[in-house]
Amino acid sequence: MKRHLPGLSWPRIEEGPIRVACHFCDALQEAPRLREGDAAHCCRCGEMLYQNRPRSLARATAFSSAALIFMVLVHLFPSVTVDAGSVRHELTILQAADAMWNQGNPLISLGTIFFTMIAPLVLLGGLLYVSAPLRFGIALPGAKVVTRWFQLCEPWSMLEVFLFGILVALLKLGAVGDIHLGTGMWAMVGLVICTAFAVAGIDRLELWDRLEIALQKEPDPDLQLPTD
Amino acid sequence: MEIRSAAAEGLASCHLCGKVSPVDLGHCPRCQSPLHLRKPHSLERTWCFLISSIALYFPANLLPIMSVSGIGGASHDTIMSGVLNFWKKGDFLVAIIIFSASILIPVLKMIALCWLCFAAAGKTHTSPKNLTRLYHITELVGRWSMVDVFVVAILVALVQVGALSSVLPGPAILSFAAVVILTMFAAMSFDPRLLWDQHVGRDLSDTP
Repeated sequence: MKRHLPGLSWPRIEEGPIRVACHFCDALQEAPRLREGDAAHCCRCGEMLYQNRPRSLARATAFSSAALIFMVLVHLFPSVTVDAGSVRHELTILQAADAMWNQGNPLISLGTIFFTMIAPLVLLGGLLYVSAPLRFGIALPGAKVVTRWFQLCEPWSMLEVFLFGILVALLKLGAVGDIHLGTGMWAMVGLVICTAFAVAGIDRLELWDRLEIALQKEPDPDLQLPTD
Repeated sequence: MEIRSAAAEGLASCHLCGKVSPVDLGHCPRCQSPLHLRKPHSLERTWCFLISSIALYFPANLLPIMSVSGIGGASHDTIMSGVLNFWKKGDFLVAIIIFSASILIPVLKMIALCWLCFAAAGKTHTSPKNLTRLYHITELVGRWSMVDVFVVAILVALVQVGALSSVLPGPAILSFAAVVILTMFAAMSFDPRLLWDQHVGRDLSDTP
């Protein structure tokens, strides 16, 4: 069974040297295989071309599954509770969206749901769906489409901005009543951190190279377990 | 060693998966997304998004973004009056955060994108290396402006009718969200490779 070998570069479908073009300046250059932890930078503009992240698939899998667990907690428990006299208000993302909807702003409400619920879910769920089976050299059906969609969703996942928004809102609120930070708040901190690590866990080029191999080699004779 | 661009050899790097393949193939052999030497109609699209966002920036700042009603009557706050209120009350941290996220970043982003568009059309001559860095920063910070929209949504949810006061979203919130989304689209449709094409004296902004 082909497993991850620490310290080595990731496998590629073409033997021999391949070339990459910088996404910022289009300089065509050799793309050498890198040892783990090394990064290749463009020789003209200096922006990073690609990087061999250490234990990439394991990290992407682990952090995206952890993030998905945190995501469940974020939606189940309120992140902030305000007690003002006899009235108690609890905040979850859905309640913030619901309040905007009720105040006659359906577009903002839908935007909030998309940026803080749908886009992160597609990003993390997609990453887990693709990277977990890739650890065993397998690509599940639709892996290409899923990769495409979660890459498109990445810039629109704004949970860290929402978390920052909660902090600013608390500063703005000042002394309205007793403010308690709940489980949802800590889960959101965990979710933001795990999302960042999951996305930074694997390079785009590596993911596609591995995906290409997994799709081409199906069924892989190396992967078939001895039956008798 | 002479540096050649991929476009000069008829090669396009896939925008999604990064594989370099001949542009004549039309679609990336690895991920099937369409291949382009440069992002199609990059400058036109960027200008289009940019001008719409500049137009919407005025209602976003002139109309009230939220109104707070309490026992003493209602007050309508625009973004700037909110910042000034916090400054007067001595909450300098909140004032600076809101000012930079809601006013400074969007304005700087629009100026940066205008500059990049002019440079990519060959109107100014700044080092493309610095402009590339500027583009990179523009792409990274843009989403953080959304914080103001979320803050209003959170405040509306937390301070609802029934408590001592209530917070209602104002009409500016929609324009402001649109400004942030449109500038993000503008940054996405801009192709920084055009800056380097200008640098070596080629214009590929119209190529497919």
